[in-house]
Amino acid sequence: MSSPKKTIVTIILILLPVLFFFGTICIGRYYVSLTDIFLTLWQGLTGNNSGLSSETTTVILQIRLPRAFQGAMVGAALGASGAAFQSLFRNPLVSSGILGVSAGAGFGAALAIVLFNTVFLTPLFAFVFGILAVILSYFAGKIDNTSTTITLVLGGTIIQSIFSALISLLKYLADTATQLPAITFWLMGSLASTKTADVFLALIPMVLGMAGMLIMRYRLNVLSMGDREARTLGINVMANKAAIIGFATLATAGAVCVSGIVGWIGLIIPHVGRMLVGNDNKWLVPASMSLGACFVIFCDTLCRSLTGGEIPLGIVTALIGGPFFIYLLKKTKGRSW
Amino acid sequence: MTLLRLNNLSFGYDPQRLIFEDISFAVHPGEVFCIIGPNGCGKTTLIDSILGINQPQQGTIEVSGTHLAQLKPREFAQHIAYVPQSHSKTFPYTVLDIVVMGRTYATRGFGSPDSSQQQRARESLDQVGLKGFEERLYTELSGGELQLVLIARALTQDARIMVLDEPTAHLDFRHELMVMEIITRLVKEKGLTIVMATHFLNQAFYLENAAVPTRVALMNQGKIETIGTPSEVITKNNLKDVFKIISITGTTDEEGIQRKFIVPLKNLR
Repeated sequence: MSSPKKTIVTIILILLPVLFFFGTICIGRYYVSLTDIFLTLWQGLTGNNSGLSSETTTVILQIRLPRAFQGAMVGAALGASGAAFQSLFRNPLVSSGILGVSAGAGFGAALAIVLFNTVFLTPLFAFVFGILAVILSYFAGKIDNTSTTITLVLGGTIIQSIFSALISLLKYLADTATQLPAITFWLMGSLASTKTADVFLALIPMVLGMAGMLIMRYRLNVLSMGDREARTLGINVMANKAAIIGFATLATAGAVCVSGIVGWIGLIIPHVGRMLVGNDNKWLVPASMSLGACFVIFCDTLCRSLTGGEIPLGIVTALIGGPFFIYLLKKTKGRSW
Repeated sequence: MTLLRLNNLSFGYDPQRLIFEDISFAVHPGEVFCIIGPNGCGKTTLIDSILGINQPQQGTIEVSGTHLAQLKPREFAQHIAYVPQSHSKTFPYTVLDIVVMGRTYATRGFGSPDSSQQQRARESLDQVGLKGFEERLYTELSGGELQLVLIARALTQDARIMVLDEPTAHLDFRHELMVMEIITRLVKEKGLTIVMATHFLNQAFYLENAAVPTRVALMNQGKIETIGTPSEVITKNNLKDVFKIISITGTTDEEGIQRKFIVPLKNLR
């Protein structure tokens, strides 16, 4: 990119999520103005009474602000992981779920719902099993102490299908009146049940994972040259791959454990990023975070405001993401990557 | 002082079936060391060993007096740069993005190359005659241009040894000559040392004629048959023994260029 374009795109990518963040807090059946948000935040910081009704401050602080923040983090985590995995696997059609983290998390959530019948342990189980699935994929794809891209993807595919089968098994065993709907809704993804406590807990792996990916993002360029060239260019391929898989998995598992399975973000967001900033991961990874945050906030706003009830997030992201991906494919004629 | 020395090197993916066996040679500073031989004789596998990609069953490789196995990838990249035989393109990086990757080992921590390293990459592009290509997408280059970009990337490493695996495999005559001219210049002007596997035996004559110190190792069935100057090694008899072909050698005297050449005529029955 030329420098003036770089500056403009950078400013847009920083401002856009902020705009979406405050925008979504304003939107909804309970009217909230921008001024209300700032007055509430000011009140929260200083303790001075802003003169706002307690309903307004509750809607902002307890409901919309955590949800908007959660959405932004989930989108950023999935966008960055998708970008990282696409470079790592040298494949533009890969998304953050390629090593089975989503399938594993889905199984963990379903297991928690069936075993304990409570929502409290669901995120924890989802997180643990999401990570476990990736570890299993990694070792399934590791042959003779090395793991080629193909064997890793193969390992991921196998583990994904095993966990999908296990999810089906749990659904079959689940109580049809309470547990089955709970599992089904969890798998569709939603930010509706966002609690402030969850936000902070899930924040830890997401922030750690994203920080790691940001720090290592230039290595993604080198790794995308293939193992042989990356090694002769001077990096330890196995160690760098493992670290990036670890960070991307932390971020994705952190996201999925609170949002459920939300597809498409890790696949299309990096492509939108590629069109905006090019393929250098130095720019692409942060751009994918910004765009992912915007996309999830946008979709989640539709989820909660289009109808009287809540539409699951995974449905909206797929309904918007699918056609958009076809549009991208037609526009670039499948060649631009 | 030798830059690269192989001592009794043997390797096979299956230890019972060695791809090459008991290979020893030393590469001297400022020479081009060509490895030639029929398809499947073990050239690429031997190069993989020199690159540290496969671990030899027996024998050692020394790079500037240090055992290859003891070099970390970052240190290795300072000594040896590599130009692959083929490169599968994935994402449309710019040419400058690709060439600057040669500085990966010199970046601090996990950082990306800074502006002085980008400048180094621009100089490499200039050296291979691709000035002005910086912002082009490397996925849209021709095969010949891509090969030059990969050579520029290797140059950017500032390593003393450059290993090329069939550097002109997919190139037309014009680009083949460009690569040979670049190699000649790099050896003569920068004192670079080159190890190169090739099927184009006339390239060895080209280098010999250009007064580049050149030696040729003829490989056959995992062993080195002979090592010597191009004129000593590339002979009708050697090609008859190793490639099982009838060939003729001759000397051109066109355009004031006196150079040997070899032409394959037919397979032995």
